[in-house]
Amino acid sequence: MLIGAVVLFPAVELVRASLSRYSITGLYQGAVGGRNYARLLQQDALGPVALNTLTWVGAVVGLTLVISLALAQFLDLEFPGRRLVRWALIVPWAASLIMTSKLFVWIYDYYFGLLNRALVALHVVRGPIDWLGDDRTVMGAMIGVGVFVSLPFTTYVLLAGLQSIPGEVYEAARVDGASGWRTYWAVTLPLLRPALVVAAVLNLIYVFNSFPIVWTLNDRNPGFGHDTLITYMYKIAFKSALRDVGLAAALGVVNVLLTLAAVLVYLNTVRWRESFEA
Amino acid sequence: MDWNTIDQQVSTMIQNNQPPDVLNLNAFASYAKDNLLYAAEDVLSPKTKDDFLEAFARGGEYRGKLHGFPILSSARAFFYNTDLFARARITAPPKTWDDFVRDAQKITKLGGGAIGYALPLGPEEAQAEWSIWMWNNGGDWKSGDRWAINSDKNVQTLGFLADLANKHKVTQVNPGKTNRTDGAFQLFKDGKVGMVIGFSPLAKQLDAEGKVKYAVGAMPANAGAAVTLGVEDYLMAFKKKGNQEAVKKFLDLYYQPENITRWITAEGFLPVTKSGLTQMSSDAKLKPYLDLLPNARLAPTTDPAWDKVKLDVQQSLGLAVQPGGNPKAVLDKLQQNATAESGR
Amino acid sequence: MRRAGRTVAGQLVALALLAPYLVMLLTALKPEAELRTSPPRLLPSDWQPGNFVTVLADPGFQSWLRVSLVVAALSTALVVVAAVPAAYHTARRRFRGRTAFLLLVLVTQMFSPTALVVGLYREFFELDLVNTYSALILTNAAFNLAFAIWMLRAFFASIPREVEEAAAVDGCGRLRTLVSIVLPLARPGIVTVVIFAFIAAWNEYVVALTLMTDPDMKPLTVGITSYVTAYVQHWNLLFAASTLAIVPVVILFALIEPYLVAGLTAGSVK
Repeated sequence: MLIGAVVLFPAVELVRASLSRYSITGLYQGAVGGRNYARLLQQDALGPVALNTLTWVGAVVGLTLVISLALAQFLDLEFPGRRLVRWALIVPWAASLIMTSKLFVWIYDYYFGLLNRALVALHVVRGPIDWLGDDRTVMGAMIGVGVFVSLPFTTYVLLAGLQSIPGEVYEAARVDGASGWRTYWAVTLPLLRPALVVAAVLNLIYVFNSFPIVWTLNDRNPGFGHDTLITYMYKIAFKSALRDVGLAAALGVVNVLLTLAAVLVYLNTVRWRESFEA
Repeated sequence: MDWNTIDQQVSTMIQNNQPPDVLNLNAFASYAKDNLLYAAEDVLSPKTKDDFLEAFARGGEYRGKLHGFPILSSARAFFYNTDLFARARITAPPKTWDDFVRDAQKITKLGGGAIGYALPLGPEEAQAEWSIWMWNNGGDWKSGDRWAINSDKNVQTLGFLADLANKHKVTQVNPGKTNRTDGAFQLFKDGKVGMVIGFSPLAKQLDAEGKVKYAVGAMPANAGAAVTLGVEDYLMAFKKKGNQEAVKKFLDLYYQPENITRWITAEGFLPVTKSGLTQMSSDAKLKPYLDLLPNARLAPTTDPAWDKVKLDVQQSLGLAVQPGGNPKAVLDKLQQNATAESGR
Repeated sequence: MRRAGRTVAGQLVALALLAPYLVMLLTALKPEAELRTSPPRLLPSDWQPGNFVTVLADPGFQSWLRVSLVVAALSTALVVVAAVPAAYHTARRRFRGRTAFLLLVLVTQMFSPTALVVGLYREFFELDLVNTYSALILTNAAFNLAFAIWMLRAFFASIPREVEEAAAVDGCGRLRTLVSIVLPLARPGIVTVVIFAFIAAWNEYVVALTLMTDPDMKPLTVGITSYVTAYVQHWNLLFAASTLAIVPVVILFALIEPYLVAGLTAGSVK
């Protein structure tokens, strides 16, 4: 209904745009059928960009899930000051992605950044590192920020999942004489599965579609060497010599199909139907 | 408005056939080519039109008609840190490229993180930095009607810039991946850098902070007289049904000498009108830039292909000054793309 | 002893999460000339709390804040009202095309807003809603609804069916069961959805940038970028404004966090 009205109309427009030719200013110049898709495949940058995307999504989602699971377990325990930690957890989420990205540009800076200052002072590295300019460190630096901003949401979903597990279940497990780890594997994780599936699927989508982090941290680097499919799409439309909205729209459609495929594969491997019936 | 996002906003509006009435942008030719704009005759009074400085009016022409109305200009200038120059015992700003390299080396040798020259060839404004060096070696974007991006002179110039970074090591780290606003300028503002190419808004910021002593001069030249880059921003009036009268009124009011000059002065820019030039020439702060204006050259903004060439340069020039980069290959590729674009 | 250990560990975690924002706060307190110094310093040597006053007194900031609050609050309300019935329905009923419906909902999330802005602009232009609150509220609600339905569905699904059956035996109608039994049990989920929808709307940038061209109708995310452009670089003000922008979210969170805990206790006592 609402979703249909607000999302479907632009989506149809997107598909239509992908079948059209536009001038550099954005002026419509007629339909071209599938030509934009064919041209997309001829772009030299497409391969490396796709690979970057795989690294980016895989690393961020994987690390986020593992760390969040630990964090959620930890925050489910009772201890003085727990509330403080929960409040702290909300902050990286409350800050807009663009601001956090700019903040990290500031922190990563070669000359003025506090990260290098701290690492040098602690003798971790001998000299400063150009985190965002050195081809070897850019992706890692971006993944770090990606994980950092994804933690709060994921931890919260998992925490909410943990808390909706009724206490009696644990009681029963204890009565049956199950040890701590066994309870965790046999009872907690399966019951947490709906929440885990939700967290994984949504993270997959959000991280794939994440624009501000890669855009901001990578804005100094010429070319497409560290772009993901989303920032590449934006550059095709507005920031590269291609300057082609139709081509970008074609990539936009491909992106959606790729995400859909990834999600389906994932859901299939975790046997989602079962988790639906739970 | 913010340059980073304006491209997207405007493109969105035009894709939907809803352009703005007037728009201030640093490019116009593609819009004129797509027949989206009013020409000066349609919306400007003769008095306004005749007041534009010759060079800037020419810079707004498409097929012999004025479509991009000059709104403000700026000229790049050579900034140097006088404290660092004194410490390195350099008495005058460099006149030639040999002087320039020697001075940059002297400053770098001061140690303590001093940087001879801050070279921003990252995507933000690589074409501006490049234009200035290119021209001061006697090269150009075009030769006659044809693109000449990979001329021998230009290959030599880009090689020179790559040597600054990799052989002489007098620049900041990774100049091909440094932007102007948040990179080179920040370093100069912190007093780390001996020389940088700046513009009047930078002077304004330096004065406000009062941390760095600096002076402004002409570019070192390797061929002929020193040249700098003039940049012109345009006001474009979009054709829409029934908006001609309203646009006309707006522009007349906007271009009244007192209005436009007040606005330009507030932002630290330079005039584009004869009346504005007379008015502003009394301002001592602006004198160094106004002196440069006669020797300022514009990028080939009147060529519709330029709007794409510029983006191409921004996304690839920096790769040439990376260690192991290949200036000739980068310029060859740019030339090939530009020629293809013009042929279309 | 174990609790004390947890407290220390907790504080370390909190510090790690907050450290970058501490840098932000401290930078916001610096005068412009101290923004970039070498070697970099964490603390300002000349503290300038006045930066916050400057931002708060800026009429631009006030109007951005107003827009952001209205949009975030109303779109969140819309999301909750629409998502609860939809999620409950899909969790409890087996209707034809349920799987397809859930997938379709998920697919809407896969379109990056960046790719959709052009169509969105056309849509709202035709409806004459460009530069109105409604445009942003509807868009945000639509984009967050999918998440909300999925999230809540998982929660409803994890509530044992027997609880409801027991209520039905006690003579509760279906609606009453939903309101008095199921909703309280799903409270952690609803709270999570509220936080999520609010934050997502609060931080939305791309759509607002395109749909809100009138300076008076820009939300915070778009507005504050005007502190740093190619010509002016008030990084300290930008960071001060960003710090202030975090505050309403933290307050909201502080207000509803107790319910999260209460929801848990209510659930386990029964």
